Amino acid sequence: MSQDTPRWRRAIARLVDASVKERLVISVAALVLAVAVGFVIVTLAGLAASCTTHPTIFGVRTPSCYDPFAVYSELFLGAIGHPEQVLFGTGTWTPLDFRVASLLRSTTLLVFTGLAVAVSFRAGMFNIGVQGQLLLGALAAALATVYAAPLVPGGVVGTLVLVPVGIVAGALAGGVWGAIPGALKAYADANEVITTIMLNFVAANLAYVAVSTWFTPADSSLVQTATIPAAARIPNVPFGFQPRDNFSLLGLLFAVALVVGVAYLLARTSFGYDLRTSGSQPEAAAYGGVKEKRTMVTSMGISGALGGISGAMLVLMVQGRWLSNLPQLGFDGITVSILAGNNPLGVGFAALLFGVLKSGSAAIGFGTNVPPALVDVLRGLIILFVAMPEFFRLLGGRLGVGGDVDA
Amino acid sequence: MADFDRREFLKLAGGTVGASLVAGCSSGGGGGDTTKVGTVYGTGGLGDGSFNDQAKQGLERAKKELDITYEESQPENNSEFATDQQQYAQDGSFDLVNCVGYAQKDALATNAADFPDQRWALVDETVDQDNVASYRFREEAGSYLVGELAGLLTQREFSAGSGATNPDATTVGFVGGIETPLIKKFEAGFTAGVNDVSEDIDVLSSYVGSFNDPSAGQSQARSMFNSGADIIYHASAATGDGVFRAAQDIGRFAIGVDRDQSVTKSDFADVVLASMVKRVDTAVYNAINAVANGNFAGGETTRLGLEDDGVAAVYGDQLGAEIPQSVKDAVSKSRTELIAGDIDVPTEP
Repeated sequence: MSQDTPRWRRAIARLVDASVKERLVISVAALVLAVAVGFVIVTLAGLAASCTTHPTIFGVRTPSCYDPFAVYSELFLGAIGHPEQVLFGTGTWTPLDFRVASLLRSTTLLVFTGLAVAVSFRAGMFNIGVQGQLLLGALAAALATVYAAPLVPGGVVGTLVLVPVGIVAGALAGGVWGAIPGALKAYADANEVITTIMLNFVAANLAYVAVSTWFTPADSSLVQTATIPAAARIPNVPFGFQPRDNFSLLGLLFAVALVVGVAYLLARTSFGYDLRTSGSQPEAAAYGGVKEKRTMVTSMGISGALGGISGAMLVLMVQGRWLSNLPQLGFDGITVSILAGNNPLGVGFAALLFGVLKSGSAAIGFGTNVPPALVDVLRGLIILFVAMPEFFRLLGGRLGVGGDVDA
Repeated sequence: MADFDRREFLKLAGGTVGASLVAGCSSGGGGGDTTKVGTVYGTGGLGDGSFNDQAKQGLERAKKELDITYEESQPENNSEFATDQQQYAQDGSFDLVNCVGYAQKDALATNAADFPDQRWALVDETVDQDNVASYRFREEAGSYLVGELAGLLTQREFSAGSGATNPDATTVGFVGGIETPLIKKFEAGFTAGVNDVSEDIDVLSSYVGSFNDPSAGQSQARSMFNSGADIIYHASAATGDGVFRAAQDIGRFAIGVDRDQSVTKSDFADVVLASMVKRVDTAVYNAINAVANGNFAGGETTRLGLEDDGVAAVYGDQLGAEIPQSVKDAVSKSRTELIAGDIDVPTEP
């Protein structure tokens, strides 16, 4: 890179060429910086707020209403239920704390949506429709298990049949819904960003109308499906969080397995190779004999299927039914994937960070007087700071800046 | 009867608060055991201008009048109810956890069983367990009153704000959100109120199938107005915005629900004759008050009616003053009779 290239280009080029170790250091530095900025914001917001009791920090009574130390202690330690209590002898803690369950629950669900977005990204497409795929996947899983239940025995056998049925139904529904924008792009040259966004609304309203017209139990005052049979819940093994925590380690293991599976698919199979080359160098891929249209449809289908699986897991592990306002995991998946640099293995860690932030914000809401809107700001800051370097790397890779283009 | 009028009503409420404040101060000597209250709001969160904000009002009132501290949490979606309820129970130091809104029923049924020593209150639904005090509303009673109001006005030539009744027809309408037992109570009360004015008045009724579809609400209301309805009562949350809009388009009237919608939806103040309000704040306050005074109503469902400010019919901010006094007097009389139990209101249409 010569001296007359503009500075921003050189800066991005350095990011693009950064080694894994450098990237890790950058991420940690970004996290620290985000916390520092957050400290200032919390303190300033606390000055503007009105309150009756002001916190005391290091023996000094502050003029600010909010205590940034307490906020960040809740965000990171509160997220796992304050294990430091054991050290200080002020309380008890087990690794099965309900905050840990909540953290791992979010992580598990976000792994699927994160993978969904990552697959589409690697294929050179931007699937913003994961939320819609999730919605329909969740609905398919709920209906499939509810209607299949009378046909199978209960107990362990029922679980062995119903759980896979639910997951496959979710994957199919999400996959078909994801393949539609893929096909529209391949055969009608319709921009997938637009179509996936639009299809989110279509999916949401389609599911809503279908459930409120046909599937809502008569005595229900909410738009929701019937509860899935107990046998269709992901069993709470190998060892137990409380059943009310709606989290199962099996679910997490399944997520980890999919992470490894998708990583293998992308890195070690010929289909993965086709997918990646159509993403990074579409002309070369076409020249090399990749059936680009079919690859587009298939990769969007796989992406959608992963989104559908996250919906199925939401129903089978967490909610036990389809509800009309599902969490926005599909959109969080976009950020998770960017945080991870669209690397399937990275998705696991990015989802874990999201899980910590999610569980930590609940802990802040419970343990401090900071309003939830401000907590969202702090959460957003961390994600923004950590994601930005990766985002510029992706951008730089697309622009062809830097030495080896392997985004 | 005076508290039927909105302004009078507020004055009265203010007076009660003031009086009990003084009482609170004078009897404040018995402090020491502060009641600790946790609150899990509905998914709209604070600032929704409806259920959650009202619940907060109840908390604030309890804080002023009673010796309490409170914590609150605002779940973003239905799947977070369970965790948010649980964090209070897990903590173990809360004397009461309030759950605002019927959507929390399922989550609470599980948590109440898992934490038998935690006392819970549920607003707008019933969980039948010994450690849950359920608070519900006599929606049918408040709806009866607005039904009577609508019945009396449709028989007259009445114009106010942007609306006017159609002298050729005596018809009123009801638009519901989703056809559930709860919403049917609104319809039943309304219809009964109208019919007690005169059996000859037609009541058109329809359900949109959604609580969040203003455009469908608008087209339903439009067709009702076009078939001669003068006044439409809605019990359909955000769908009702469409009902108000249709009333404005065609120049007829509407009756709001849950809150004084001539204030919360002030764009439509020129067509909102009255609103049937559900006093969530009263429910929350009563739940806390009961625990603070050691008579937690566990396992019971308390139905808050007209007499204890659980439900009320309040006249519109802008149009209320123009409603003839004779009509208001008749409605006030019915209110007294309802409280006395002289009128029987059905809960199913």
